[in-house]
Amino acid sequence: MLWLFRFFTASIGRKFLMALTGLGFILFLGTHLAGNLLLYRGGNAFNAYAARLHAFGGLLMVFEFGLLVFALIHVLFGLWLFYENYRARPIGYRVRKSGPGQTWGSATMPYTGLLILAFVVYHLIRFHFADKTSVTIYEIVKNAFQSPLEIAIYMVAMAAVALHISHGFWSAFQTLGANHPKYMPLIRGLGLIFSVVVGIGFGFIPIYMTLV
Amino acid sequence: MELNAKIPEGPLPEKWDRHRFELKLVSPANKRKFDIIVVGTGLAGGSASAALAELGYNVKTFCIQDSPRRAHSIAAQGGINAAKNYTNEGDSIWRLFYDTIKGGDFRSREGNVYRLAQISNAIIDQCVAQGVPFAREYGGLLANRSFGGAQVSRTFYARGQTGQQLLLGAYSAMMRQVAAGRVRLFPRREMLDLVVIDGRARGIVTRNLLTGAMETHSAHAVVLATGGYGNVYFLSTNAMSSNVTAAYRCYKRGACFANPCFTQIHPTCIPVHGTYQSKLTLMSESLRNDGRVWVPVKAGDKRRPEEIPEAERDYYLERRYPSFGNLVPRDVASRAAKAQCDAGKGVGETGLAVYLDFRDAIRRDGRAVIEKKYGNLFQMYEKITGEDPYKTPMMIYPAVHYTMGGLWVDYNLMSTLDGLFVLGEANFSDHGANRLGASALMQGLADGYFIIPYTIGGYFAGTPLETVDGTHPAFGEAIESSRKRIDTLLAVDGRRTVDDFHRELGRIMWDYCGMSRNNEGLEKAKGMIRALRAEFRENVRVPGENETFNQSLERAGRVADFLEFAELMVTDALARQESCGGHFNEAYQTPDHEALRDDAHFCHVAAWEYQGEDREPVLHKEPLVFENVTLAQRSYK
Amino acid sequence: MKKSIHVTLKVWRQASGGDKGRFETYPLKDISTDMSFLEMLDVLNEALTHSGKEPIAFDHDCREGICGMCGAVVNGRPHGPEKGTTLCQLHMRHFSDGDVLVIEPWRSRAFPVIKDLVVDRGALDQIIIAGGYISVNTGSAPEANSIPVPQGAADKAMDAAACIGCGACVAACPNGSAMLFAAAKVSHLALLPQGRPEAARRAIRMVEKMDGLGFGNCSNITECEAECPKEISIAHIARLNREFFRAQLASDEK
Ligand SMILES: Cc1cc2nc3c(=O)[nH]c(=O)nc-3n(C[C@H](O)[C@H](O)[C@H](O)COP(=O)(O)OP(=O)(O)OC[C@H]3O[C@@H](n4cnc5c(N)ncnc54)[C@H](O)[C@@H]3O)c2cc1C
Ligand code: HEM
Ligand code: FES
Repeated sequence: MLWLFRFFTASIGRKFLMALTGLGFILFLGTHLAGNLLLYRGGNAFNAYAARLHAFGGLLMVFEFGLLVFALIHVLFGLWLFYENYRARPIGYRVRKSGPGQTWGSATMPYTGLLILAFVVYHLIRFHFADKTSVTIYEIVKNAFQSPLEIAIYMVAMAAVALHISHGFWSAFQTLGANHPKYMPLIRGLGLIFSVVVGIGFGFIPIYMTLV
Repeated sequence: MELNAKIPEGPLPEKWDRHRFELKLVSPANKRKFDIIVVGTGLAGGSASAALAELGYNVKTFCIQDSPRRAHSIAAQGGINAAKNYTNEGDSIWRLFYDTIKGGDFRSREGNVYRLAQISNAIIDQCVAQGVPFAREYGGLLANRSFGGAQVSRTFYARGQTGQQLLLGAYSAMMRQVAAGRVRLFPRREMLDLVVIDGRARGIVTRNLLTGAMETHSAHAVVLATGGYGNVYFLSTNAMSSNVTAAYRCYKRGACFANPCFTQIHPTCIPVHGTYQSKLTLMSESLRNDGRVWVPVKAGDKRRPEEIPEAERDYYLERRYPSFGNLVPRDVASRAAKAQCDAGKGVGETGLAVYLDFRDAIRRDGRAVIEKKYGNLFQMYEKITGEDPYKTPMMIYPAVHYTMGGLWVDYNLMSTLDGLFVLGEANFSDHGANRLGASALMQGLADGYFIIPYTIGGYFAGTPLETVDGTHPAFGEAIESSRKRIDTLLAVDGRRTVDDFHRELGRIMWDYCGMSRNNEGLEKAKGMIRALRAEFRENVRVPGENETFNQSLERAGRVADFLEFAELMVTDALARQESCGGHFNEAYQTPDHEALRDDAHFCHVAAWEYQGEDREPVLHKEPLVFENVTLAQRSYK
Repeated sequence: MKKSIHVTLKVWRQASGGDKGRFETYPLKDISTDMSFLEMLDVLNEALTHSGKEPIAFDHDCREGICGMCGAVVNGRPHGPEKGTTLCQLHMRHFSDGDVLVIEPWRSRAFPVIKDLVVDRGALDQIIIAGGYISVNTGSAPEANSIPVPQGAADKAMDAAACIGCGACVAACPNGSAMLFAAAKVSHLALLPQGRPEAARRAIRMVEKMDGLGFGNCSNITECEAECPKEISIAHIARLNREFFRAQLASDEK
């Protein structure tokens, strides 16, 4: 099994894990967003959705556990790569001007990632582990977004997610070796659309919640 | 000294076979007992290192650049010849042989050139197997194009980067041997001297260019593949570090230097544009496949090329050489361009340029086709000149490009010093007085892959060689004299820079020992070179010290050798009272200004033997015997 | 149409690997716009020599954009601002009068500075030694036309093989990664039928070597592709990744 160890510690192997877990998150974000859009249809719809989700019970646990493992891998390997990348240039350039290759998204991956991490912890405490014995999840959400600070945190985080995905989406395909002149432009386009949809889809929720 | 070329007996096509049979062999198990030094990692040195190591020899390989992949061969653009006859035009080994002999104006050996043609096909096979991405037809088979001096398409190419791809092939084969532990690489080393013990080459002295340390290396034989000396002209298409130093130091140690005055001036280069210019850029000869060379009919015509109507253009190559047209050999094309400019018809700011026009080709084939064939060359032209050759014709002018002369070698590629083998452009062997396009790459690889592996074995098997190492006094003496040379250069502390001297030397050589020569000018040049050399020794300024990475010092050493070597070139040019190929003495020309050979007196190789500082070298003549071709006035009409 | 400009250079000077190094400022007058960037440095070096100072060390050889020896970061851009151009092929006509040019060596842990703008790129050779070849002994090659190679594959292989090994990809990459370099060689050889037999071993060994040399990792930032003087595409990186997965997960190679 040495070969497997070698694979997952090689630069490309680690990137393979980043891409796989990253795509996993993207799928998760897709479904999560679809669910959250129910907020726009009011408290009943949303609470019903939450209830139905929890009815899955064990399956949901498995799923959540999977997400946790993915998150651990993505975060730890991401930080490992980031540390190595940082060390690869002990003396920086006096003048650093980016060529036409770099984007805001690609330049900030580790930073947006860390921001997301902080947010996710906060987000889980705030909503996932919240005491739901006396209030519905809809009310928790509604209450949360009465505070401008929370709205701001939420929106900044969603901007970070959008930025992270704007690069991460196509980058994952490239990492997995899926770069074909016919399809790559499509993948890139899709990535941008998805990041915008995620950013606006999630990001507009707090504003909407203050309106209703 | 008797020059014995050791050409095997027998009919031309059988010589090489017979010779390989007659050469003694070193048994596979014994090969690892032999150490070989290879100096140079161009096509010749790279391929030799790989092939020798594959056989089991211990190889130590040296180069000036930081990586062996950067040797000057990397810059070759156009292609490599082979007698495959894939195009079904009637090519054959004999035809490639004949074209090369004739192209060289009958100043090369039949035996060597025939062998080169014989080997040519195996080179292509070898390179393809290494993964050299040659151009291919839609069906997946190899494509060919035509080059000057031939009426068949036999040139294999990889876009405009053939030299690069062939060199990377040889480099990778060599790196495989580095991985196998059979080649040890020494980059950023400059060979400063050859160590000769009991009349045999047994080692070298190198300077570590990073630290200035003098190092000695011993071996059973030394293979020199250090390229050509075109940089004696300062401005040339050679890489900046190309030099004569290694070959010249061997000459000073007793190896004869053959035909030093044979230099090739390439017709299609980007013209000089300023005094600060550091080198010239070649535009591949392949461009003459589709480009048409012309000048205005009227001298001093200052109109833009687009404004000059068809009737007022002189397509002088097509006019004078209807059957070869724009594809005449290089020496002919270069002289023709010079003649037009001398007659006041030159174009551009300096009047030292002619047009190379693709208008008709673009009209005929469309821009896309031309772009596919020459895109990178056009781009390079535009980068340098700031003009778009798809719209206005290119301006070109001849420039120093290749040196046919080099250390004298016999059929085994061994110099007059036992154990010193010389390959590639550094030897004089196969191109006579003029090299045809796409044949230097062929020769370098033939020497390295397919000749030296056998002939060096013959030498080892037939020569008793006792062990020597760096402690032998000859090494101490060589190191001492190299160090002294460096100390002397650093001590002068004069007022002129190395480049300044080099530029002036180049000017002298270009004016008097360039495209066209005459006795009076050559005599004058000799005096000027001597004076310049004397001034150099008293007035050069080399900043810094030896013990660091010191590029000025590197250049100073090379220029010091050029200043001595230039005189040898002029001496050789004066001794050859005829015109042939690239050597054009104005006193010897046909009524229509073609080179006029004197076969009765000069059908020989001129090999010069060093006699000591400030003493005239001695000329040895190796007669050239032609049994299979008849000497004829070259005609490309 | 002769034009000349004045420029100010701020050049990294470092006497040796052990030296700390610093920037020096040099005003340059009347630089012809037809000069190449390196010729401009030549002019400065001649002046420095005359005034008894040490000239600036910089690597160069062919000055035609093919040997890959030259290279420096000019105002934050490897090989300067022109697309698809090496430093030696960059001409001063792309600069304007009064420009200030900051010139720095390639910066990478794997490329230690030797002197001024000269760095040690031996690490790239190491990657090739690890497997950047096809194992064919001289003399054992079959007839060249016995293996047809589709023109498209040959063209793509050539695109990758055009790499000049200058190291600009490493210099440009915010992570200091050598993936484009390694990918170009793996991809060139993987695309040709001749290269297939060794493809798995080559991919594994070259990547392993690359990882051990102090380069960073690829984050698909694509600065390498943007700055590569030969405009080598990151599609070759994707191909390297595929080759690597295939080699590690689906071949017998260990
Ligand atoms: C611009 C250009 C285009 C060309 N195009 C073609 C073409 O299309 N077809 C063709 O057939 N030919 C072409 N040629 C000619 C051909 O490229 C050369 O003749 C050939 O590559 C020479 O190869 P080589 O191995 O002999 O030497 P080089 O490639 O010059 O290699 C010399 C080697 O020796 C080393 N060296 C030199 N001196 C020393 C020293 N003192 N100590 C240690 N090492 C030393 C160098 O580092 C280098 O590694 C072209 C030449 C030029 C200039
Ligand atoms: C919403 C959650 C997240 C999603 C959808 C996501 C998605 C992705 C994707 C698709 C990639 C591209 C992988 C590749 O290039 O092959 C990626 C890369 C990366 N992610 Fe995330 N990620 C998320 C959270 C995080 C977190 C919490 C971190 C914390 C550190 C992080 C750090 C990184 C880093 C550093 C990279 C770049 C890796 C590299 O290319 O070197 N990500 N992410
Ligand atoms: S000097 Fe050769 S690429 Fe610039």
